[in-house]
Amino acid sequence: MEAILDKKNLNDWIAALDGWDAYAPALEDGVWSYRPASANAALAHPNTVQPPKGFAFPQREIFFRFEQIKGEAPRLTPVQPEPGRRVVFGVRPCDGRAVPRMDRVFADHVDDGYYRARRKDLAYVGLACHKPQSRHCFCKSVGGSPVSTEGLDVLLTDLGERYFALAVTDVGKALMQAGGALFAKAGASERKAVEQAHAAAVAQPQRGVADAAAAPAALKAGFDSPLWEELAQGCIGCGICTFLCPTCHCFDINDEVTGAAPLKGQRVRTWDTCQFPDFTMHSSGHNPRDTLGSRLRQRVSHKFRYFHENFGMLQCTGCGRCVSQCPVGIDIVQVVNRVAGSI
Amino acid sequence: MIDLGALHTQVRDILETGEVRAVVGWRRGSRGMLAEPVTIATPEEAETLVWDPTCFHNLSLTLVEERKKPSWRPGKPIAVVAKGCDARSLTVLMQENCFRRDEVYVIGVSCAGSGVLDERKLAQRLPGVEPDSAAFDGDAFVCATAGGEDRIPARELMADRCLECRDAHPKLNNVVFGEAQPRAFDPPFAALARFEQEQVGVAERWQFWQRQFERCIRCFACRSVCPMCYCEECVVDSINMAVGADTTAAEKANRIRWIERSASRADNIGYHMTRALHLAGRCIDCAECERVCPVNIPLRLLNNKLEREARVAFGYEPGASIDLPALVASFRDDDPNHFIR
Amino acid sequence: MGDNIYLPQLARIAHIKEEVGGERAIKTFRLEFENGGGFEHACGQCAMLSIFGRGESMISIASAPHIKDYKQFSIMRVGRVTAAFHELAVGDVVGIRGPYGNSFPVDAWRGKNLVFIGGGCGLAPIWPVIQTAVAQRGNFGEITVFYGGRSPRDIMYQAELEKLRGAVDVHLSVDKQEEGWNAFCGFVPANLMDKEPSPDNAIAITCGPPIMIKYVIENLRQLGFKDNQIYTTIENKMKCGVGKCGRCNVGKDYVCVKGPVYCWDDLKGLPAEY
Repeated sequence: MEAILDKKNLNDWIAALDGWDAYAPALEDGVWSYRPASANAALAHPNTVQPPKGFAFPQREIFFRFEQIKGEAPRLTPVQPEPGRRVVFGVRPCDGRAVPRMDRVFADHVDDGYYRARRKDLAYVGLACHKPQSRHCFCKSVGGSPVSTEGLDVLLTDLGERYFALAVTDVGKALMQAGGALFAKAGASERKAVEQAHAAAVAQPQRGVADAAAAPAALKAGFDSPLWEELAQGCIGCGICTFLCPTCHCFDINDEVTGAAPLKGQRVRTWDTCQFPDFTMHSSGHNPRDTLGSRLRQRVSHKFRYFHENFGMLQCTGCGRCVSQCPVGIDIVQVVNRVAGSI
Repeated sequence: MIDLGALHTQVRDILETGEVRAVVGWRRGSRGMLAEPVTIATPEEAETLVWDPTCFHNLSLTLVEERKKPSWRPGKPIAVVAKGCDARSLTVLMQENCFRRDEVYVIGVSCAGSGVLDERKLAQRLPGVEPDSAAFDGDAFVCATAGGEDRIPARELMADRCLECRDAHPKLNNVVFGEAQPRAFDPPFAALARFEQEQVGVAERWQFWQRQFERCIRCFACRSVCPMCYCEECVVDSINMAVGADTTAAEKANRIRWIERSASRADNIGYHMTRALHLAGRCIDCAECERVCPVNIPLRLLNNKLEREARVAFGYEPGASIDLPALVASFRDDDPNHFIR
Repeated sequence: MGDNIYLPQLARIAHIKEEVGGERAIKTFRLEFENGGGFEHACGQCAMLSIFGRGESMISIASAPHIKDYKQFSIMRVGRVTAAFHELAVGDVVGIRGPYGNSFPVDAWRGKNLVFIGGGCGLAPIWPVIQTAVAQRGNFGEITVFYGGRSPRDIMYQAELEKLRGAVDVHLSVDKQEEGWNAFCGFVPANLMDKEPSPDNAIAITCGPPIMIKYVIENLRQLGFKDNQIYTTIENKMKCGVGKCGRCNVGKDYVCVKGPVYCWDDLKGLPAEY
């Protein structure tokens, strides 16, 4: 399903999505992030600081509450998320491509009920990029595209005063149908315009990973390269690269105690990162990845090798956040290229 | 202005003679105009070092990290290229006995009327444009872009910390490049004063800070980038425990979790407030914490507030001299608070 | 909430046995499920045990799969959760979820000679295999158990090991000679070389401190064991147990799913990040 939406009708479309909570990028305190869509939402944003991954995988998830009177058995009360139907507007294609990758992780082996509950009624309305959002974008070199529909339900393409809307999934189709007469039939001239816009977008130059197809094997061969420590030299061991990554999914589970007698509290999942020094530390103090280089290697190898070995696709979607936000300039594109180029 | 050629020669010389075993400086990275920290150990690499308005990083951090490594050898010094603020930071670290003076060879670079730029201000000033390089010509930042050059007055682009610079000339130095010049911009604490004028009431301020801390994603970049946050085990972070082969089970089991891992508002406030207090009298306003924060929490306001308290109450200026006692490790007979006398 | 993979079942501590004292004490806990709960497990699998308010810890199931009434865990007092376990008493109720991970391919070993090499608390993960082999004694050839501790007081399962004699060759060792110790003195890998078990039609199963495993594998290879005849377990830090949280990730494997049991033939191809 293809249709045309006048930009001035965007908010009417959002309002027409009965039963859906809508979110769109907004600038608050100097930070672009997804917020409940205001009545005058406009999709005129660079990419958000944080990807939309928190909608399905929030930084904090309560699994259950516990309560125990001393000498008695504990009582556990599961917490089940009921987020309702949510639609996120303005998702860039790189972040869209992260969605099926996260889906794979949380459905693989056993299905994660918390992720599923948050994901099942979650729709993404994407916005094609006419030009790279920053000089750190490299989606094209990792199999993506500035106009990719992967992971999205609808893809909007900006045609000046109007959007060309393409329904990618049945959910997307339903969302567009809910807009009713707000959408006009797309004619041949609009089709041609969108084709041209997409071709121009794809033709925009980007930096990139030199040979993504060869990366898994190259990183395997370069596992013992001294380059890892050299490239990690400036790393300060913070969590920016992973917490802002649309596909990083590592987490921690902790008990948070809120009362002592009777014992009360909750078991909570929070994001975690392979970049924190103690992520892999055993209780004995033994740490299998105890250097900055080994931790950089883990992050990069997971994206460009291990995930590929397991699921047949790269985990990195080239959004460039880990590059642009790194306090000391560690650049995943350069890391892959240098390690791969050294073997 | 800094004569970069002379700096290169100096770096080459001290590496050649073996006076230092390595030099920590900045080089051009792979990310457009931005410089990045680097540690070099051979004279041939001297010319890779750069000096421009993107040399944000307080390189005393590199030294602190180096010191934690098993390869750290006290004795033969490491050289650090240091701006005025970075030199103050080294001074505090020496006051706190992290380093002896003779372990660090300070290559001072005076910001001499210039300063580093603020990437956020740049993004606002030139939306959608990412310059290839940035330089300072005495009055303005000159940003080279695909379309030519943009000359932007210093005040519009300079980081607040530089506008309010306490001392652009590194007092602690073995050698210094650039001249000592009086600052032409704002007095210290100007941004803090603006904030206090804008957010007058206590309730208003509390609301402001709640909104700021709500955003925190607990990536710990503010702590990781801070040279003063060198504790092996951080009290506000139950995650990074200093566990060795001989740490007992009891020690691990009895460790108090002051702050939960959840990025909830209450825990975020606990984290940031405690960190701010631990920096009182130690923070020298390099403002790296604020620069690296991915969600733009104005951490500098917090640190400045405590810095100003120390200045007003005790006349204390962190990083002024190695020989001064540290603020929180000393007391005076004329302390304004009676309980301490 | 049948599909809540993070919600533990409840189990009551039915019995506690002090195996080893000292700073890194080991106690064996017998857990009986509450409310008619339970699960089946295979040799080598683990379970996530929890003390509410303290947290979770992944522990090998030390009882054999054919024992249905309870599950047994030998827990060394080493961290936040395990130290709390050592404070518990009979009757206390804890959380348990699982089973997690793969298992030893015991059925495929029928007719073979089995050589077990354990050190420290590394006897617990392989104990279900020993128990299973002994319970099905006729299905296997010779069974040999090497096990060592730092001192005679660090030998766990002492009574159980003595009971094995007759059905099984048991070779104990301690690191340093002490009065009254009549068996081998020296490290476990040295005891192995002293007795020289034959690799013919044999499978070697080893578990213990990483440094011990390293030398045991070297020595097994010297004795002529092929890589596909050697099995071990690796125990990385784990949180979720279901291959998602990323902590136990080594190469492409999440150890909580693909491990903890590894044939050396496979393990040697993974990064040595364990």
